[in-house]
Amino acid sequence: MDETPRGPITALGLATLNFVAYFGQLGALVVESAESLLRARLRFRLMLQQLVAIGFGSQVVVIVTGAFTGAVFSAQSYFKFKDFGIESTLGGIVSVSLFRELGPVLSSLLVAGRVGAAMAAEIGTMKVSEQIDALRAMGVHPVDYLVIPRFVAMTLSMPLLIAEAIVFGLGASWLVAVLGFGIPDSWFWYHTIEHTNLQDFAFAMIKGVVFGILIVVISCHQGMVASNGAVGVGRSTTRAVVFSSLAILIFNFFLTLLLNHFFPMGLVT
Amino acid sequence: MTTHSSPQAKQRPFIRIRGLYKAFDSQKVLQGIDLDIEHGETVVLIGPSGEGKSVLLKHIIGLLQPDAGSIDFDGILIGSLREREFTAVRRRMGYLFQNGALFDSMTVAQNVAFPLAEARIKDQAEIDKRVHEALEVVELSEHKEKMPINLSGGMRKRVGIARAIVGRPEIILYDEPTAGLDPIVTDVIDHLVQRLQKRYKVTSLVITHDMSSVFKIADRVVMLKNGVVAFTGTPEQLRQSSDPFLQDFIAGRSGMTS
Repeated sequence: MDETPRGPITALGLATLNFVAYFGQLGALVVESAESLLRARLRFRLMLQQLVAIGFGSQVVVIVTGAFTGAVFSAQSYFKFKDFGIESTLGGIVSVSLFRELGPVLSSLLVAGRVGAAMAAEIGTMKVSEQIDALRAMGVHPVDYLVIPRFVAMTLSMPLLIAEAIVFGLGASWLVAVLGFGIPDSWFWYHTIEHTNLQDFAFAMIKGVVFGILIVVISCHQGMVASNGAVGVGRSTTRAVVFSSLAILIFNFFLTLLLNHFFPMGLVT
Repeated sequence: MTTHSSPQAKQRPFIRIRGLYKAFDSQKVLQGIDLDIEHGETVVLIGPSGEGKSVLLKHIIGLLQPDAGSIDFDGILIGSLREREFTAVRRRMGYLFQNGALFDSMTVAQNVAFPLAEARIKDQAEIDKRVHEALEVVELSEHKEKMPINLSGGMRKRVGIARAIVGRPEIILYDEPTAGLDPIVTDVIDHLVQRLQKRYKVTSLVITHDMSSVFKIADRVVMLKNGVVAFTGTPEQLRQSSDPFLQDFIAGRSGMTS
C-alpha cells in the first residue's frame, strides 16, 4: 500500500468498494456451497458432529431465551390489557409474536453469538495455522469439508431450535398468565389457539432456515478470510457475531414484509 | 554470476515451469522462474530467506495462482485449473508444510490416515497398515494416539512427512523438512528422501538451508535469488562454482567481522 494521504472522497470510495467486495465474496461462497451440495459427497460423520454441536448444544440457550421472552411478554401484556379488561386474550398476542418475530429473531441472535463465534474461531484458527492449505494440498475442497457439514447442520437445527424456543415461550407465558396472574386456563388456551395458525408456523420455520444460512455463510466466510494470527482470528470472530446479528435483524424486517404477502396475519374466524 | 543450464531433456520433463511471476501487493517475489524437473530426480532449492522458495512450491501444488507464466505438470497446465479441477493433480503430490500444518483436532494416526480416507480407501486394515508403515519410517509409530499439541516441533514435522508420503505420491514437495530438527533426525529424514527415490522412484523437490543435506541428497541444486533461478547444477558443480555469492552461501559467510 502506498502512503499517499487520502481525502474523504477516496476514503468513501474505498469503503464502498470494500462493502461491495464483501457481498461479492459472500455470494461466491454461497455459489461454491451450492456447487458443493450438488457435486461433492456429503460427509455424514462431520455433519453429525456439527448437528450435535449446533443443534443439541444450543438447546439450553434457546430454551432460556424462549422461556423468559414468553414470560416477560406475557407479564407486560397483562399489565396493559388489564386496563381494558381484555387480559384473558393475552395468549393470542404472545403466541403470534413468538411465532412470527420473537422466537425466530431472538433464538437466531443467541445462536449467532454461540455458534457463529465458534465457527469463525475454529475455521479462522485452521486458516492461520495453514490447516486449510493442508486440506487443499491433499485435494480436499475446504468448502466441502468445513462449510457444508455446518451448513446442513445449521439449516436443519435452526427451525427445530426455534420451535423449541416457541414451545417453552408459550409454556412460560402460561405459567405467568395462568398461575401468576390468575387468568383462567381455558381462556388462555382458547385465545392462543384461536389466533395462531399454520401461517404463523410457516413464518417461524422459513425465518429459521434463512437466519441459519445467514449465520453459517457469514461466520464461515469470516473464518476463511482470517489472517494475521491470533489478532486476526479474534477480529474475525467478533465480526462473525456482529455481522450475522445485524444481517438477521435487517433480513427479518424485509422477510416479514415478504412473508406476510404469502402468509397474511390470520383473521379470527 | 555463473548460470549453468540444465541438461537438455530427452523427453518432456515431469514439471516444466516457464516465466513464472508472482507479486504480493508491491512486493515482487517471483520474477520469471524457468525450471524443469525430471521424473525421479531430487531437486534441492536453496537461496536466501524471503526469495520465494516456499512461494514456488505453493504454485506447484496450486495453493497460489501465478500472476503470469505457466506450470506444466505431466502434460496438465495447472496454473489455470479451478480449485475443484486440482483435486486429481494434488492426489499425485505430497506436501510437507514448514510447520507441519497438522489438524489439531485429530490424533497423529488420524492425521496420517487423512489422505487415505479422503482417497476413499475403505479397507480399514489397509489404512492401519499404511499409517503404521508411514509412521515407522519417521520413527513415530509409538506416538500414534497423541494429539499434535502434545508433540515437539520436530515430531510434528515428522508426522507431516508421514502424512505427505502415506498416499504414495509421485512427487513430494518438502518445505524445510529438517529445519529445527536435531542432527540425527535430520540424517534420518535425508535417508528417507533418498530411500523413497530409490525404492519408489519418487520425485522430490526440497527446500533446505542445511548445506550438509544439500550435498547428501541432491541430484540437482537450484538457487533462487532476486526472484529468478540464479544457479542450477549438480552439487559438485555448486561446490566448484567460482561465484563468490554461491561460495559465501555454501560456507555460511556473511562477510561480517566481530
